Amino acid sequence: MLRKTLNNLPRFSQLCGLSRRLQSTQAEPAPAVTTTVSTEAEPEDIAVIEQRILKHPDYFQVHNLFTVRDLFNARVHYGHKEGSLDERMRPYLYGSRLGHLIFDLDKTAVHLRDALNFVAHIAFRDGIILFFNRNALNAHLVEQKAMEAGEFSHTRFWRGGIFTNANVQFDAVTRLPDLCIFLNTQNNVMSQHTAVRDSAKMAIPTVGIVDTNCNPNLITYPVPGNDDSPAAVELYCNLFKEAILRGKRKRRDLLGLPPLDESQPRRSRNTKTNSN
Amino acid sequence: MAQSRLEKIGTIFTRVQGLLRGGAMKTEDKPIWYDIYAAFPPKAEPRFDRPAPEMPVRSIFYAEDVVRAKLHKQNKPNETISLFDNKRSTQSQQFLQIYDNLKSQGALDEQRIYETALDLLAEQRQQSRLDATPEDPAVAATELDVETKSQLMSEFIQAGGQQDRSSGSQYKERKKESPVGINIDSLFKD
Repeated sequence: MLRKTLNNLPRFSQLCGLSRRLQSTQAEPAPAVTTTVSTEAEPEDIAVIEQRILKHPDYFQVHNLFTVRDLFNARVHYGHKEGSLDERMRPYLYGSRLGHLIFDLDKTAVHLRDALNFVAHIAFRDGIILFFNRNALNAHLVEQKAMEAGEFSHTRFWRGGIFTNANVQFDAVTRLPDLCIFLNTQNNVMSQHTAVRDSAKMAIPTVGIVDTNCNPNLITYPVPGNDDSPAAVELYCNLFKEAILRGKRKRRDLLGLPPLDESQPRRSRNTKTNSN
Repeated sequence: MAQSRLEKIGTIFTRVQGLLRGGAMKTEDKPIWYDIYAAFPPKAEPRFDRPAPEMPVRSIFYAEDVVRAKLHKQNKPNETISLFDNKRSTQSQQFLQIYDNLKSQGALDEQRIYETALDLLAEQRQQSRLDATPEDPAVAATELDVETKSQLMSEFIQAGGQQDRSSGSQYKERKKESPVGINIDSLFKD
């Protein structure tokens, strides 16, 4: 019981909006927190480790998570028809086969590896990650995978102001996510997801799968690829999940914490945010 | 927290950078993604007003498209294709393989190659069908066996002691079966 409350304390301080989330435990003057610090390995160390890790080009080995062949088999290369092409997607295309646009999977792979690396680093720094998807067909899959990764998902209608007016909407100081992953960036075929704009407003980096009819400009790490096929979405979900878990495992390794219990999805975090 | 919500100006990185440099945001309030972004910047700057590059979308065509178009124009494809089956080649793929083989031999002109390839394809398909059919009577026979057996069982129960006759009638059944199979083949040939 006591241990549980101690574990909850860093989270509590984060919820209070006292930033620099990682060092929030040591920065607190509260007397109980000093015991928490002793359970974690030297807190100064983690900042040094983080800087050291950034020098490594691919610390989490995300390059071996997938091959171009996997992308092809998951039908990532299929775009929409030529008429719906967004001009800004041109550099990511291989060409047009009888009116159907085809992605250049070599470029997709490069962008996807960048995105996975970024995701793993955010997970390593204990960031909160939020998955988005507005395709009803894939909604359950995305929610499931986000839960398995111990992160959050939002696959329903986006009420405006969830990010931009959060403190009023939730009646409390709200910690926003540190990274948004969009499995598709469109609300429907006509309009972009409002959360893309809102994340940019709130200075939250985004990783997004952009199809040929999407606008990649506001997405920090766009990944050109098919965002409609369940096979493709499942591949993306698995890759992001694996990258997140690698980041988390590495963190627990280096901090000397017990390993993640991956057999069952972690719900503790979900219930915590729901309560705020 | 100090913040700039003007998402159309610069990028999230440049906005936060400006806040940090100006002292509006303290170093300890720096968002956790900031260092990661600085170490691994994205390939293209995520600016709202990044212009679309002027580059044409090329059309994808293959050398064999000419003859494939001809094939599909003259023979409406009516086969059922399973998209999950990557092993079996479609009729047009088989046709193109034959066509390429003939062309590499280089004895005939284009039209003759096309016609010969069509003939060869028809032959090949017939052959594969012939190979496939012998399995069907076997399956049918086993099914029939089960049927006859059950019939015979009831007969056996009724009459009793007809074990010999039952095996004999089974053979008869099989003999009847085999000509039927051949008939099916010849029907397909026509």
